[in-house]
Amino acid sequence: MDFPDRFDVIVIGGGHAGTEAAAAAARMGAKTLLLTQNIETIGQMSCNPAIGGIGKSHLVAEIDALDGVMGQATDQAGIHFRVLNASKGPAVRATRAQADRALYKNAVRNILEHQPNLSLFQQSVVDLVVEGDKVVGCETEMGLVFRAQSVVLTTGTFLGGRIHIGHEQHPGGRAGDAPANALAARLRALPFRVGRLKTGTPPRIDGRSVDFSELEHQPGDDPRPVMSQLSRRDVHPRQVHCHITYTNEQTHQIIHDNLAQSAMYSGNIEGVGPRYCPSIEDKVVRFSDKPSHQIFIEPEGLNTTELYPNGISTSLPFAVQLQFVRSMVGFTNAHISRPGYAIEYDYFDPRDLKHSLETKALEGLFFAGQINGTTGYEEAGAQGLLAGINAACRAQGKTPWEPRRDEAYIGVMVDDLIHLGTTEPYRMFTSRAEFRLRLRQDNADQRLMDPGVALGLIGPKRQEVYAAKMRALQQTAAQLAKTQVFPATDLAQALGLDLRRETTLQECLKRPEISADDIAKALHMPANEEVAFKALQQFEIETKYAGYIKRQDEEIEKIRRHEGLRIPDDINFTQIAGLSNELRQKLDHHKPDSLARAARIPGMTPAALSILLVHAKAKSSALVS
Amino acid sequence: MTAPDTDLICAIATPPGEGGVGVIRLSGPGAKNLAQSFIRNKLHSRQAQYSRFVADGEVLDDGIALWFPGPNSFTGEDVVELQGHGGPIVQQNLLQALCTRGARLARPGEFSERAFLNGKLDLVQAEAIADLIAAKSKLAAKAARSSLQGVFSAQVAQLAARLLSLRVEIEAAIDFPDEDIEILQQAEVGQKLAGLSEDIHTLLRQAEQGRRLSQGLTIALVGEPNVGKSSLLNALAGEEAAIVTAIPGTTRDLLKVDVVIDGMPLRLVDTAGLRESDDAVEQIGIERARQQIDSADRVAVVLAATDLAKADDKANVLDNCIARARAQLGTAADALNANALHIVINKIDLHEPVLPLVKQSQTQFSLVSATEQKGLKEFVAALVNNQSADAEVATFTARTRHVQALTRVGSLLQQAQQALDDQAGPELVAEDCQLAHQTLGEIVGTISPDELLGEIFSNFCIGK
Repeated sequence: MDFPDRFDVIVIGGGHAGTEAAAAAARMGAKTLLLTQNIETIGQMSCNPAIGGIGKSHLVAEIDALDGVMGQATDQAGIHFRVLNASKGPAVRATRAQADRALYKNAVRNILEHQPNLSLFQQSVVDLVVEGDKVVGCETEMGLVFRAQSVVLTTGTFLGGRIHIGHEQHPGGRAGDAPANALAARLRALPFRVGRLKTGTPPRIDGRSVDFSELEHQPGDDPRPVMSQLSRRDVHPRQVHCHITYTNEQTHQIIHDNLAQSAMYSGNIEGVGPRYCPSIEDKVVRFSDKPSHQIFIEPEGLNTTELYPNGISTSLPFAVQLQFVRSMVGFTNAHISRPGYAIEYDYFDPRDLKHSLETKALEGLFFAGQINGTTGYEEAGAQGLLAGINAACRAQGKTPWEPRRDEAYIGVMVDDLIHLGTTEPYRMFTSRAEFRLRLRQDNADQRLMDPGVALGLIGPKRQEVYAAKMRALQQTAAQLAKTQVFPATDLAQALGLDLRRETTLQECLKRPEISADDIAKALHMPANEEVAFKALQQFEIETKYAGYIKRQDEEIEKIRRHEGLRIPDDINFTQIAGLSNELRQKLDHHKPDSLARAARIPGMTPAALSILLVHAKAKSSALVS
Repeated sequence: MTAPDTDLICAIATPPGEGGVGVIRLSGPGAKNLAQSFIRNKLHSRQAQYSRFVADGEVLDDGIALWFPGPNSFTGEDVVELQGHGGPIVQQNLLQALCTRGARLARPGEFSERAFLNGKLDLVQAEAIADLIAAKSKLAAKAARSSLQGVFSAQVAQLAARLLSLRVEIEAAIDFPDEDIEILQQAEVGQKLAGLSEDIHTLLRQAEQGRRLSQGLTIALVGEPNVGKSSLLNALAGEEAAIVTAIPGTTRDLLKVDVVIDGMPLRLVDTAGLRESDDAVEQIGIERARQQIDSADRVAVVLAATDLAKADDKANVLDNCIARARAQLGTAADALNANALHIVINKIDLHEPVLPLVKQSQTQFSLVSATEQKGLKEFVAALVNNQSADAEVATFTARTRHVQALTRVGSLLQQAQQALDDQAGPELVAEDCQLAHQTLGEIVGTISPDELLGEIFSNFCIGK
């Protein structure tokens, strides 16, 4: 039967991409349906119970700036918070939280259930409803047909998922959950390039069987950071420690002796795994000169004794897992509560997508998350947000939103994926962002508030918080610009400056040795003035980075000009005289729609760009005349 | 649609050589102001202004400055022409002064490209413009190869490798602070930066010397054994530079002579006779000849009039000779611009009536007698004037680009050092190093962030 209500946007999948997509579309006023195999697993953390980290918390900050779910859910569920790179500069500082899985799931579900315009429905989707080259809905396993203007697919590792433990293998989307094989088969028949990727998880360990007295303790930071601009520290639940242990030579010997039994080393797996998250088998083989590897033990939650030993993901048989786990300090009597496994799954080549995350082949169909070859909750959530926004834009007849590389990590990620594709699960790192100094956590709201408000994504509470921040920033800037510092005065002494002539506080802040803290102290700023102090810190960042940011402006200006230079759709790249065959093929493969995008194709030269431009101009002028 | 780049560009617009007029053209916003800063008299639209060209109190040249305000100019932008003297050194100094004051060397064909994009050229010319850019870029790439040969090239590649490994350390420390990996301490980063800066300065000094020593076109003399290549070289060089005997295969190695003919600096390279040979030493000579041809600006294919007279197919004798020379040059010939091959028929004293034989041929050629010193000047003039502006400017431009890029790399690394000393944060050191690496990439090829990450993952065990 056809479901009686029509929707603007249907989101298939209730993971981190799906929840952000559904919530974003609904925030924009689109009538939205979230379809999931199981409502109980909405917001489930399938891998390690942590959110954030370098590059990743930058994505969370951007999701949060656009009023998304992840930051607030993390604050409600976080049981251990740390600032990474605290001793380095603000652009590369990041926040990481360990989350209680149950609390996190509850928080996400709670946010979705209170979201106007959003309905949930539990049922496996088996097919898409395609009319011509448009997707107009989907069909569930009981034959129920839902219709909508846009459909967002966020199926994670569930498409054709296959789990490997040693030589054993079975279909699965996650340990304990069935894969979405009917949908996978259907999608494989559509005109998308499909590949296989692999990822792994470690065995989980029962904390009651661990000797914590032998482990290194790692407490969270004090004061604790928060993930969301809207959160205060007091929403955090009780905080706990993480722990650290190490593999040793005995561990490595056990793994070595049993390599042939590892699914990854026996040739059973065709999918490619991530280089930055190798299995313990990989580490022992590739870095054989390292006598020991650090294992970071993460708590799974406040009301469970299970632990997640990060760093020993494996596809060895269970018996070997038990043996090598018990060879480590503190784990001598460890009980494994869930075996580790490797999982292989289908992904669709992201080069078949537009920058809006809509597929090029089928109008109205959007992909987000691991289906696009990425890994990580934050990467998935950020894509979900973008796909949800653009699915709603399509339903509402608005122009798609495509953040640029100099605006947001979301823009960097999508541009990387769409241009270069990926051969391993794609993860964000700050070194991927050439404009890293502007893409900071502290200014995510400043970067994204205008487009967010224009899209109708931002609620009143966040707009108020933002307005207050901007007022404080302006006041700080004005105060520092007008406050003069005279030589040999108390203020100069408080700053530790030996001045020859008068200056302003703003000028003082430009000196590398003067920090926001110094100025706050010199001005006797009260400790509870959090908004004012944050504004001062922000002003310091902008002052210290000013020269570097200005240097980037020219490059960005040039890129924007290139973006304005559109390449006509019907240009035949294979026929362009003057280009090498290799470049013609590359261009034909990527089919760039602007000169800026052509410029990002590896191997492009300035001369090739010039030639392309001349042809594009000739083509478009011929059309006009 | 307007041009993608609208910055200020400059280039030498006339063929090289002493004497005559040398024109440097500037196009883009600020062209007038920049030119005005070199001359005392006020520039007026479309009026010739005679003046000295002065930079930092030093008179670089004197001549005529002409300002064409856009859009009524060749490119459609503000254009200034500085018409001075034609000497290569004079022009290069002026060009460098412009470049240090905000102009950038134009890319190959960029003036025409801008003219086209600004609607100054007909649409039907699109194909021709694209071909021009392609041809000039090929020349520039070739020039870059030849200016980068040997030690210089190896040193730049080595610098790039060291900078990459330093960036791997810096970026790994930023992106993976929680990993159990050993990363460079600040003092070590400082030492590596200082080492890189120092080597760049050494390299720049060498590049500058190289620029002075070798300004001219490189011309390779090739041909069958005993057609008189060495005699021709001796005649041009005016001294017994190569051993000349009547035994085929006498020149077993390369011989280079730098000469100035009619104010035009030239480097002549005599190559071993190209022929199949069983002699191991001679084979080495032949192999070197091929390499030399690959980096030469011009290749003079030397034929002997006496051989032509003996040929069977007299109607097509010249074309057959060219085809044979191309076949022997192999891949080296493919790399050459069609105009870079020049035919020279030697020994006309021994066989004057060769002329009727070759008259039908479309190919341009010169007739000389090395032993009687006949036709030499005409030969050199033909060689140099035949589109040589491209090659000369390209070689100079390539070298200047490298010097510019290296200078910029050096100053960026100094800024990185400063940021390090100020303890301004590793992300700022990283920022300068990234830009430096990107700039060096203009010479040796850029690497993508993903490749950098690949280096990190293969050097460090990441993934706890």
